[in-house]
Amino acid sequence: MLKLIAALLSVPAAGLALVASTGVMVVDVQEGGPGATRIVVPVPLLLAQAVASLAPVPAPRIDAPELERHLPAVEAVLDALAAAPDAELVRVEEPGERVVISKAGAVLQVRVRERGDEVAVDVPLRAARRVLRSLHGGRLDAAELIAALRSARGVRIADVKDGGDRVRITVW
Amino acid sequence: MRARVMALVAVAGALGLQAAPAAAQNATAWVHVRVEEAGKGSKVNVNLPLPAVEAALAFAPPDTFSRKHIQIGGKGQVTLADLRRVWKELEAAGDTELVSVEEADQKVTVARQGTWVQVRVSSKKETVRVDVPVTLVDALLSGTGEQLNVRGAIDELRKLRGDIVQVRGEDSTVRVWIDERS
Repeated sequence: MLKLIAALLSVPAAGLALVASTGVMVVDVQEGGPGATRIVVPVPLLLAQAVASLAPVPAPRIDAPELERHLPAVEAVLDALAAAPDAELVRVEEPGERVVISKAGAVLQVRVRERGDEVAVDVPLRAARRVLRSLHGGRLDAAELIAALRSARGVRIADVKDGGDRVRITVW
Repeated sequence: MRARVMALVAVAGALGLQAAPAAAQNATAWVHVRVEEAGKGSKVNVNLPLPAVEAALAFAPPDTFSRKHIQIGGKGQVTLADLRRVWKELEAAGDTELVSVEEADQKVTVARQGTWVQVRVSSKKETVRVDVPVTLVDALLSGTGEQLNVRGAIDELRKLRGDIVQVRGEDSTVRVWIDERS
């Protein structure tokens, strides 16, 4: 009997281990105010990547010829930044507003504070480069985007505080 | 004893002076831009490693650095060909005022002072000081036709340390400089 229970438990345990080892994106949405709800959605990235690869729908098109033209330069700048030491790259301060872009390790940190609202976005440089490469041809490859997220594990890619509401997206 | 110490200090100083430019060429240069507008209470700081600037410029369209004319002051214009010719003629002339444009509301001078080209613009509203090394102008004008050799100028910027541009306006200041600190 014990062997049977162990065998039955090993299946979901192995599934969880597989999901954990191949990356999970956790979207955590928390509403502010009394009686607020909190929704936590774990998205197994391997599964999402497989669905995106097999889905018969056409990849979303990004019509940005300006961006397309400057992609090689943006990629080269990202490479140069990756090789540079950590530093605060841009700081813009205006009354009630602050934007700071820094390079910390292999991550580009964007911090925006505007009155009560705060946005923190961490862009892993390697993942950003991968996404940019997938943009060639003006088409965003969803599977490639998810693959880039899988290469950015352990990073909280977004943390947005809007009044009492908060959204956090973390890749594990 | 005192003479020996003085000699040692002099030798060490000379070695230090020779070592400094070599160190400057090896360390990563950072371009810094500070813009402050006191009236609006806004500040913009940009710090970029020079290799990132180079990388961006490497992919700039060819016509980005094409200039038929160089604007000097409000109305004054000099063709790039004329500028090259004048620059070549004045190369051996030593310290001299290269350009002077006086208009009703502003005065612009471009002068060579030692190893620097100094651009000064003064009007009621603002004062602009731009100090550019002669070698940088040499590199910039080493292009052909209507092309400025910006890549050559970037090579020179790698060796440059210190202030390049200072603008003091009625309500705003701009400072651009290069050092080795991020």
